[in-house]
Amino acid sequence: MHEIRTGFGDILRRQLELAERNYELLADRGVRAINVMGAIGSGKTALILRMAQRLQGKGVRVGAIAGDVAGDDDMRRFQAAGLPSTMINTGDDCHLDAHRVGHALEDFPLSAVDVLFIENVGNLVCPADFPLGTDQDLVVISVTEGDDMVRKHPKMFSQTDVVAINKVDLAEIVGVDPQKIVEDYRKVNPHGRAVLTDAKSGRGVEELLSALGF
Amino acid sequence: MHEYSLAHSLLEGLLEHLSAHPVEGRIVKVHVRQGELLILSEEALREAWRILSEGTPLAGSELAIEKVPVVVRCRACGYEGDARYLVEEGWHQAIPILSCPDCGAQVEILEGRDLAIVGLTVEERPGTQLPSG
Repeated sequence: MHEIRTGFGDILRRQLELAERNYELLADRGVRAINVMGAIGSGKTALILRMAQRLQGKGVRVGAIAGDVAGDDDMRRFQAAGLPSTMINTGDDCHLDAHRVGHALEDFPLSAVDVLFIENVGNLVCPADFPLGTDQDLVVISVTEGDDMVRKHPKMFSQTDVVAINKVDLAEIVGVDPQKIVEDYRKVNPHGRAVLTDAKSGRGVEELLSALGF
Repeated sequence: MHEYSLAHSLLEGLLEHLSAHPVEGRIVKVHVRQGELLILSEEALREAWRILSEGTPLAGSELAIEKVPVVVRCRACGYEGDARYLVEEGWHQAIPILSCPDCGAQVEILEGRDLAIVGLTVEERPGTQLPSG
């Protein structure tokens, strides 16, 4: 047997380089981008629509990119709300990556927006390993996923600085104490901010925007 | 299941590297460093490698994965080194916390998010001269 040392490169560094390219493009156009991650059905689209509504009310121009394995349902929702939007269908991939987002940005009317929400594929785990070049990450979980979400995915939450705990209106019905999720989150991320939201009624949306620095 | 797309990137990268820098003999092990912060199943990555490498010169090679611990730097106090870990009963995993172990400020990550091929183990063929390296 023979050992050969080879350092031909970190494959995730390539992802990071592509992400940096996106970041520079967005910064150059004065667009602030937010990568919205979370499981299928956690309420990402509904929360984005609510945040967009509030931001538009303050004169902020908002756009959205819908990332899905297939289908254009989310993009239609964004369009129906009057947001400049496009979609990325990943085919079989369980996450967006900087390369795909880069192509989507090429055709996006960036001059028409100040804030761009990039809704990742519905999947709590995989998107976390792929930086897109956004200014911020937001993870959306819902109380219907259980009060043990942080314990089950600690590394995901230890690296995410803003978390929306959505569908709090259903907490009692599903027997989940949202504070338990908040406590777990504080343990793994003492610097992060967890906000209780109900996208349907709009509860907590203003606080979420302030956690994101708006 | 992003292990498949990452295994695919590793494989493509290595095949490209080998076409420019060929090695004599059969590659039996591919040594990989995996940052501790990645949310990646080693088992799934090895299985993806096994399946994706079939039909390529790397068929039958095995991924040898070394976990790379998190290294952080604190902008507030200048600390640079290991992260603090949270160990909770029932979590079955020590969780690296991105706070400064000295002053508690938020830290930046220096290491722990990488995935890289760092070496190869090659089985010598009788009578062939191995490259030094």
